[in-house]
Amino acid sequence: MTVVDSPPPPRLPVRDRATAHQRVGGGVSPMLTRLAEERATGVLDREHGTLHLAEGRVVHAESPLAPGLAELLTAHGTLAAEAWLEAEDSADEGRLLRYGITPGALELAQVGALHDAAYFALAPSSTPGRFRYGSAHWLASVHPVPVAVLEREMLRRRALLRRIWPDPATDRAPLIRADPVAAPTVPTRQAAVLEQVDGVRRAVDIARELGRPAFHTLVHLRRLASAGLVAPQPPPAPDAPPDDAAADPYVALLKRVRDALEAL
Amino acid sequence: MPGIDECLLETMRLPGARGAALVDWTSGLALGTVGDPPGGDHETAAAEAAELARLAAEQQAFGPGDGKDAPDPPVEDLILSNRDSYHVLRFVPTSFDSSVFLYLWLARADGNLALARIRLGEMAERLVLG
Repeated sequence: MTVVDSPPPPRLPVRDRATAHQRVGGGVSPMLTRLAEERATGVLDREHGTLHLAEGRVVHAESPLAPGLAELLTAHGTLAAEAWLEAEDSADEGRLLRYGITPGALELAQVGALHDAAYFALAPSSTPGRFRYGSAHWLASVHPVPVAVLEREMLRRRALLRRIWPDPATDRAPLIRADPVAAPTVPTRQAAVLEQVDGVRRAVDIARELGRPAFHTLVHLRRLASAGLVAPQPPPAPDAPPDDAAADPYVALLKRVRDALEAL
Repeated sequence: MPGIDECLLETMRLPGARGAALVDWTSGLALGTVGDPPGGDHETAAAEAAELARLAAEQQAFGPGDGKDAPDPPVEDLILSNRDSYHVLRFVPTSFDSSVFLYLWLARADGNLALARIRLGEMAERLVLG
């Protein structure tokens, strides 16, 4: 019997983890990176939100999934709704300041709202973004953020949510209270979110109701989900067999762990 | 005091100030940073300080014991010390829903902790009230 030395099989292409990570880290949106390089001014429309650029830096962001700056400022009486409308109509930042909001408070609120809406605007999308060159947003001078800094922060935020609770189901779905057998005590700010969970409202509805940034609400909801207090509304199932095991807290815990592992 | 950067630069005028930041304790976002970063990186330091601030701010046990309604957050500041420095975290109350604090890293040899506490409190107030 002769032994034939067959040549080793060709190496399969393997994604280099180190460079793959760099690639992800460098470009949440390649289009946005290019616009930053050419110091563009205008509006970038993406599937889940809009970014306003001035000279290649992000100066404002809006998303249907996050309460806007106006909602955050008017919800708790910081600013009267008419005052906001008047300032927005005349595109005059100075009017906001004349109505009693300080430059520091405006900057704090604007940085918060910008990062909040940008988180959704820069979420992975199924349609390409569209950029319209134009003039700068009227709040462009409040707090411009470099694109690279914003993208790094967005990746950090995704990782933060994943670390708290890996299942993203509570981010978008209508939510229900899960009422586990031995419920842990809930800190005040999370309790305010929990009170709004009624089987219909989604994270963004709760954020609007509370006048609170949507990403903060996602963080609170993931903590509540990991404590077993909140779950996404399951799709209506016809004739589900009675589940005696659901009453057992250990079985319920195991199910949540299984769901979380599947979501990893 | 007009904005975040001016507030942080003024914080750095405190004797012994090594670095300062304004941080959101729900998201871990550093809204502004100045000076040397504790631990070598401002963003990591901000995220770690945020975690500590969150724990302090969420526990009712750390609130005042006078029986009146506790403000949100119930604590005013947090002080950590080590062999050569202090870390002082001062919560910034705002009239809208936010969760930010001023973070000062102070050299122990040249810094004055009592003065830093008072000045941070004043600056947190002036940042939002003008």
